[in-house]
Amino acid sequence: MEDNLEQELIEMLIETCRVAGPIPTDLSLDAPLIGPDSPFGLDSLDAVEVVVAVQRTFNVRIESTESSRQVLQSLRTLADYIRRNRV
Amino acid sequence: MNPAFPHRQTAHCESGVIANLLTYHGLPLSEAMAFGIGGGLFFGYLPFIRINGLPLTTFRTTPGGIFNRVTKRLGIGVTSSTFKDQSRAMAELDLLLRMGIPVGMQTGVYWLPYFPPALRFHFNAHNLIAYGKEGDNYLISDPVIGEPVVCAAADLVRARFAQGALAPKGKMYCITAVPKNIDLAPAIREGIREVCRVMVSVPFPLIGTWGIRYLANQVERWPARLGEKRAILYLGNLIRMQEEIGTGGAGFRFIFAAFLQESAAVLGNSNFLEMSQRMTGIGDVWREFALAGARHCKGRAEQSGDFTDLARILRRCAELENGFFRELSSLVRKP
Repeated sequence: MEDNLEQELIEMLIETCRVAGPIPTDLSLDAPLIGPDSPFGLDSLDAVEVVVAVQRTFNVRIESTESSRQVLQSLRTLADYIRRNRV
Repeated sequence: MNPAFPHRQTAHCESGVIANLLTYHGLPLSEAMAFGIGGGLFFGYLPFIRINGLPLTTFRTTPGGIFNRVTKRLGIGVTSSTFKDQSRAMAELDLLLRMGIPVGMQTGVYWLPYFPPALRFHFNAHNLIAYGKEGDNYLISDPVIGEPVVCAAADLVRARFAQGALAPKGKMYCITAVPKNIDLAPAIREGIREVCRVMVSVPFPLIGTWGIRYLANQVERWPARLGEKRAILYLGNLIRMQEEIGTGGAGFRFIFAAFLQESAAVLGNSNFLEMSQRMTGIGDVWREFALAGARHCKGRAEQSGDFTDLARILRRCAELENGFFRELSSLVRKP
C-alpha cells in the first residue's frame, strides 16, 4: 500500500486500547482483531473504543448494515473499509 | 438442483433472513426496510428476566415479531411449522429443498459449526436459511456470516432442537406467495407508528423512554447496591447487548436511521430524511454511553465515566428519544 494506514491503525489501537503486551514483530494483517486470538488482546468492549476511534480519527463511521463484525475481522479488513469510505 | 441464492450479510439475523428471502422471491428489500416495517426498534429493561444471571436489556422487539409483522403488512404468504420429531423435521426440510424452496429456520447458535468457537453462545433464536443440500450437507445462507456456508445434517439437527430458553423446536418457515404489486408506503407508516407507540405511549415503566429513564436510575445505584465488581459486570453486559452481534450499532438506532432514510424516498417526504439524521445523532449519544461504559469497565475512564455520568448520558438518550418519537408520530400521521 502506498499509504501507511495499517501502521497508523496499529498505533491507534495501542494508544486507544492501551495495549500493554508486546506486539509480534511478524504481525499478520489477517490476524483476528477482536477475540481470544487477537494479537492485541482486544475484546468486544475494546471494539466499541475502536469503532469510535476510527470515526474520530478518519471520519469514517462503522454502523448499520456495514456490520462492525465484518469490518473488525482483521487489520486488513479495517484498513480496506477505511480506504473505501474516507472522503 | 440447488437454487442460486442471493446471500447478503446483514447486521441482524431476523431482518436479514426476511430481506434475503423476499429478495429471492422477487421483492428486493434491504435489511433496514425489513427491520423498520417490522417495527423492530424497542427498548426494554427487564431485570426479572436473567440471561446468564444478568438482567435483560433489549433494544429490539421479541424474536419472530419482525418476521410476522413484515409478512402481514406486505401481504406475504408464509407457512411455518414446529416439530416434536427430529426425523420428521429434517424430512420436511429436505422435501421443501428438493422443490427448490429456500427455508428459514430458528436455531441455537452454539451448535452451528461454522461459527468461530469464540462467537458461539447459547442463544436459541438465531435465524438462517437453508437453500440446498449436497450429500449430507446443507447449503446455508446465514445472514451474519460473510459468505454462504455448509452445515452437516447432524449439526443442523442439534441447532434446530437446541434446549433451553427460546428453544426452537425445529421451527422452519418459508414464503409461499408474494403479491405482484406491493405498496411499501402503508407498511412503512404502520411500522413507524408501532415503534412510536411502544417508545412513548405505553405507560409501563420498564419499556420505551420510560424504561431508559428507569435503567438510568438503576445504573446510578448499581455500585452501592451490587458492589463495584458486580456493577461492572452488569455494565459490561448492558454495553454488549447494545453494541455487539446483530444490533448494527447503538442498539439498532443506526439501522432504524437507515430505514427512515429509505422511507423518505418511498414516501416522497424529505422530513423523514431529517428524522433519519436526528436518529443517527441519537445513536451517537448511545454510542457515547457505550464508550464511557467500556472505558469504565476497562479501568480506562478519565475525568468522566463513573456510574452517575453514565446515568446522565442515558437520561439524555431518553430525553432525545422522547422528543424524537413524539415528533415522528405526528409526522407519520400527516397524509
